[in-house]
Amino acid sequence: MMHTLDNFLFTYQSLIYALGVNSLLALSMYVVLAVGQLSLGQAAFMGVGAYSSALLTLKFGVPFPVALVVAAAAPSLLAFVIGAPTLRLSGVYLAIATIGLGEVLRIFFLNWDYAGGALGLNGIPELAGFIWIFGALTIALAGFVAICRSRVGRAMEAIRADEAAAGVMGVNLPAYKLGALVVSAAIAGVAGAFNAHVSSFIGPNEYGFDAAVTILSFALLGGIGSPFGPVIGALVLTALPEALRPLHDYRLVINGLIIVCVVIYLPGGLLPWRISRIGARK
Amino acid sequence: MIARRQFNLLTAAAFGALSFAAPGLAADPVTIGAVEILTGPNNKYGLAIKNGFDLALEEVNKAGGVLGAPLSIAYEDTAGNKDQAINAVRNLIGTKNVPLILGPTLSNEMFAAGPVANQRKIPIVGTSTTANGITAIGPYVFRTSLPEADVVPVTLKTARDKLGVKKVAVMYGNDDAFTKSGYDVMKAALEKLGIETVATETFGGKDTDFSAQLTKIKALNPDAIVVSALVEAGSGILLAKKALGFPAKVRVIGGNGLNAPKIGEIAGDAADGTIVGSPWFIGKPDPANQRFVTTYKAKYGADPDQFAAQAYDTLFIVADAIKAAGAADPEKIKDALGKVKRTGVLGSFAFTADRDPADTTGVVVIEMKDGRFGLLP
Amino acid sequence: MLVQQLLNGLLSGAVYALFALGFTLMFGVLGVINLTYGFYFSTGAFVALYATQYLHMPIFVALPFAAVITGIVAVIIDDLLLGPLRRAKAPELSSLMVTLGATLLLYSLMTACFTTDIRRFPPAVFNGGAFEIEGLRITLSQILIVVTVAIIVGGLAYLLQRTKLGLAIRAIAENGDAAQLMGVNAGGIVRIVSFISGALGGAAGVLIGLNYNAIQPYMGEMMMLKGFAVIILGGLGDIRGAVLAGFLLGILETLTAGYVASSIKDAVGFLLLVLTLWFRPVGLFGRVVAKRA
Repeated sequence: MMHTLDNFLFTYQSLIYALGVNSLLALSMYVVLAVGQLSLGQAAFMGVGAYSSALLTLKFGVPFPVALVVAAAAPSLLAFVIGAPTLRLSGVYLAIATIGLGEVLRIFFLNWDYAGGALGLNGIPELAGFIWIFGALTIALAGFVAICRSRVGRAMEAIRADEAAAGVMGVNLPAYKLGALVVSAAIAGVAGAFNAHVSSFIGPNEYGFDAAVTILSFALLGGIGSPFGPVIGALVLTALPEALRPLHDYRLVINGLIIVCVVIYLPGGLLPWRISRIGARK
Repeated sequence: MIARRQFNLLTAAAFGALSFAAPGLAADPVTIGAVEILTGPNNKYGLAIKNGFDLALEEVNKAGGVLGAPLSIAYEDTAGNKDQAINAVRNLIGTKNVPLILGPTLSNEMFAAGPVANQRKIPIVGTSTTANGITAIGPYVFRTSLPEADVVPVTLKTARDKLGVKKVAVMYGNDDAFTKSGYDVMKAALEKLGIETVATETFGGKDTDFSAQLTKIKALNPDAIVVSALVEAGSGILLAKKALGFPAKVRVIGGNGLNAPKIGEIAGDAADGTIVGSPWFIGKPDPANQRFVTTYKAKYGADPDQFAAQAYDTLFIVADAIKAAGAADPEKIKDALGKVKRTGVLGSFAFTADRDPADTTGVVVIEMKDGRFGLLP
Repeated sequence: MLVQQLLNGLLSGAVYALFALGFTLMFGVLGVINLTYGFYFSTGAFVALYATQYLHMPIFVALPFAAVITGIVAVIIDDLLLGPLRRAKAPELSSLMVTLGATLLLYSLMTACFTTDIRRFPPAVFNGGAFEIEGLRITLSQILIVVTVAIIVGGLAYLLQRTKLGLAIRAIAENGDAAQLMGVNAGGIVRIVSFISGALGGAAGVLIGLNYNAIQPYMGEMMMLKGFAVIILGGLGDIRGAVLAGFLLGILETLTAGYVASSIKDAVGFLLLVLTLWFRPVGLFGRVVAKRA
């Protein structure tokens, strides 16, 4: 029996880690969507987190917690640089700028021989594990639930519902939007660091446009009424293709279909829970 | 059996083992795993490999299988995705208890999935992974494909000695592990052979416009252009080279990526004169190879490529190792693999102490002419 | 060499300009970044490929044929995806997301049908000959592209500035609701603009497929990323800006590859994009006032 359990854990270890990492990524997307913005740079932020932390642990032997802090800080800084000018403009500019950011970073990592160039980084120590990943997920979820039930949460909801009205009511729009983008980049960076430190290999082509869109589909499937929605979306979209292998071939088709259907027919997501209901149940 | 039924429930849909049990072999088959790209953009490689395995598997089982039982292969798809490759290897080891894994298709996937197999002490044998450093992953990682580092120097030396190539320009795709590591090998070989490099230019694997790089190269007047690219960009370079009016004597010398009949199809007469080195060539006259080509064509209705040929040979090598090991035991198979000696369609084969192919005499240099590869005269 | 490089840059710029025209027109009039535009590009190339291969159309028939078919596809896709959102007056990000999802869906389906193997037009379809004047080389397909860009830019300018339809389109672009009150049939105009943009995208796909001989489903996606840079640089919705920005990007990329380093060629467009957003979000030519949030 122990042996069976052992084999089971061995078989599904990567999948279990992926569930946690993808949930974190979905949360990072959620923060941005929650203030009515769209970022297609989540994958790029994740990549910056993955690369910066992996370089630190692999080449300098820096302790993992320190690398994790850098993995959160580096993409946040980038988010600030990219967000400050574009968030003053209408939403499409941020979306396009973050796509551009993803491409620039890809080219940067490809040309950076120290970080392995196209060959990527190999032999990254396996420092993250179950406790790290799901601990971080729990903390992030708890944090968001707390935020949702605070003034900040209500302000975010007001922005999403009607930006102009929220502005008139005295919500500091630029600060909220930029803050959300920076926090989101930090979470994505941490997720990237976890991913790098459980899979031993990262390459520059893993954080492109497709990855960004996949992250978006997590959040949209679950709906952004509450932070639990995106997490559930990530869990479903990560586990489902593993359980039903044939779905693998059509993963992109399904992700695309989810995005289209949700935006047109179910703007609340498939799981349109409100945070207040979760609060009431507690 | 009960345990297996439980696992079937867990991975009901994932269970895709194919078995070619020959009549008369009643025992439970010996199942090995194979992790290849069976779907997605790069599945042409994985499917060719699978064809090669299946063809060889039929022959192995016709000849009595291994250990008194038929051999069978449990395939897992990676879709070219490294995470999926890891999951596939974990699944084969954890739930199917395979004693050996074939694949994965790409070097990148091997860098991700190889350590998992190595950690569990399950031998994993790449048939198409040519990048540097593959077997350095660990003592359980083998490959039967000649690394580029063995093939490219032969090509360049032939170009220097037979075609009088003294100075070249180099172009490589810098956004792909395969083409980048091909370039690293080319650079080292050029230096060693004393061939002068007048320019080194890069491009992206998805680029279509190469005129800027080639215009620069044309002005430097090299004897040849050494290119590390996959088919898509490679064909584009050949076409752009023709459009820019390079003299016909300036050939393209390619790495393994250009060793594909498709470049003749896409680039047409612009591909003429391209030379590449190859561990295998369809027109190799030895009877074993000709028999392989004929039976492959009869079974799949298409010409085999080098991926199929490598896979075909590899399955025999693996079957020999299992027989020599005397049991479907990973440790014994690993030891037996190191001792296998066999002559296949690629020539004679044995592993080095570092688990790479030992024999490079099978390398041939081939030339594109009228849309087809032929041996360089 | 410099002159040949400038010519190379001009030609690759013409390609960008051709691609960006329909893309920016769509935004300018319909007010959405329609990411399915890249798919129209691939569609046009494939329709023309099959028309020449199996229906044995000469390329000069296949080109308009592919443009019309792609135009119709564009109208259908717009109706299905953006129609409901337009009626619901959904925020602009919704339409961006819908087209994003649709792109993923459409490319994947297209790949399932055609695989990602690259294809080319049969060599007999178009004479791939080249002219050499004073050491400068230009091929027939490159000349065809430049001529087509010139015709399309001229045609579009005439349509928008000199015709009644153009007036209606501009009115919708300016203020949809007001135009509708003035008696412009908004639904009809939306379809016409979708058709024109789709047809432009399709035609661009055919010509570029003809020039580079690399037709495959994702060809539009690669172009799309550069297309973003071009339309932002030119100013969203600005047709003349898009054309000029296309040429500018083509020339800068070529010069970078020729004189700096080919490895950073692809970064040029995105650096320009980021710089534009920082310092001049209205685009280089500032004809359109960028919509402020």
